[in-house]
Amino acid sequence: MIAPLQLLWGYYMRWTVRWPALAAFVPFLPLIALWSLIVSLGVFPRAFLPGPLDVLSKGWALLYKGILTDYLADSLARLAVGAAAGMAIAIPLGVFIGLNRRAYEISWPILLFFQAIGDIAWLPILLVWFGFGLTTMTFVIVYTVLFPVVLNTVLGIRTVKPELRRAAQSLGASRTRILFEVMLPGALPNIITGLRNGLGYGWRALIAAEIIVGTSGIGFLMFDARRAGSVEEIVVGMIVLGVLWYIVDSWLLAPIERATGQRWGLVTT
Amino acid sequence: MKSLVLENLSKTYFDPYRGTQFTAIKDVSLQVGEGDFVAVVGPSGCGKSTILNMIAGFVPISGGRILVDGHQVKGPGPDRGVVFQSHALFPWKTVAENVTFGPKMRGVGKAERARIADEYLALAGLSHAAERYPNELSGGMQQRVGVVRALANNPDVLLMDEPFASVDAQTRMTLQEELTRIWEERRPTVVFITHDVSEAVFLANRVVVLSKGHVLAEVAVPLARPRSWTRLVEDDGFKALSNQVLQLVRSA
Repeated sequence: MIAPLQLLWGYYMRWTVRWPALAAFVPFLPLIALWSLIVSLGVFPRAFLPGPLDVLSKGWALLYKGILTDYLADSLARLAVGAAAGMAIAIPLGVFIGLNRRAYEISWPILLFFQAIGDIAWLPILLVWFGFGLTTMTFVIVYTVLFPVVLNTVLGIRTVKPELRRAAQSLGASRTRILFEVMLPGALPNIITGLRNGLGYGWRALIAAEIIVGTSGIGFLMFDARRAGSVEEIVVGMIVLGVLWYIVDSWLLAPIERATGQRWGLVTT
Repeated sequence: MKSLVLENLSKTYFDPYRGTQFTAIKDVSLQVGEGDFVAVVGPSGCGKSTILNMIAGFVPISGGRILVDGHQVKGPGPDRGVVFQSHALFPWKTVAENVTFGPKMRGVGKAERARIADEYLALAGLSHAAERYPNELSGGMQQRVGVVRALANNPDVLLMDEPFASVDAQTRMTLQEELTRIWEERRPTVVFITHDVSEAVFLANRVVVLSKGHVLAEVAVPLARPRSWTRLVEDDGFKALSNQVLQLVRSA
């Protein structure tokens, strides 16, 4: 029993080295098989639990009509704008707080307080203030991205080894040069971690905001499908969310992490 | 390279637990001439690292004066190059970029920096490692880079804080021999902090023994140069001096 499994595992390792895309795809095969099995056993009515092929054909139909791509583009654009704005505020703020002891002492409790008021907890009051619109959604994403990036940037700046700053000082670096040559690169692995968390939370917050606020986007697609009673469409939306995050994380964020923190030996895998 | 003078240097810390002043360094005076190599030894807690941190400008002084080339020290500056025990190389810069960090801060151009990198990496026998990152190097290689990074910036005084304490014994002897060779070639002014008596005697022209924050004794080391371990390990003069310093340190 053990030997064939080991053999299979050996093949799997070799194939995934040759085609890394397999490693992203193969683990889902048993999951899809289980799904098919449960559906074919007829435990739940088809209208409640559609099979993989139903979902696939629905997904194809949505893609073919252009709805899926339009909504996806909307969601991604919102996330990109929100994340960019969030980072533009969060990184300088985090650097400032990390470098300045007084600012740190004063702002840390405030940061923890507001971080605890989750993104979605802001929705009720935002709807009162800004109504059902883009402002509300952007606010939620910026807010969600902001805190993990600020907190991790502060942490990163504060944990840069003091010898590195001293070394730079006695090599004649000015304060500005130390900021750009030592503090920022030293904090970069933490900043990327913050970004990774922030984008992950932001993505979730966006879907929630789209469900409540939305006029378009993947979250809206899913909630709208509920109204029409199309469970297939809901499942399509869920799968799109998972696939998209996998792509962002493994094709965008992980390579940045490998090229920086891991290459420099600041982060161990 | 220029001279270094310590005049009645002292350092007191406030001890928050006892509510009293604690004297770490008391009335230390020392003259290091241009091109001299002085080692400071002493048991742990004797204040040798504090002295180096004050000379480097990392720690404010409580009394006395520190003069480099006649100018009083105020904070860290490129006139005093520092080699750290923890090497303190910038992990995100290649070996060549680390070595030319000082010149880059001074605004030295790219071509000249490349020449400096070539020269100093050759001096340390590291030409093959120019494009590597520090974490890809062995501990000994990291320390070599640390030494030439400080040298490449042409400081008046080179301050070395137990730079070879965390490498293995064989590598340490090699590094010591390389450092004497570099010093004999270039004659930088060096203050070398260590707790290793034979290291101090092997490297220095003069050994300062520190005890409880003051200078216990100064021992001149008139051993011939160039020095190498193969020769000195059996040398009677070396043994006698090492013994003498060791007795002083143990009595401290």
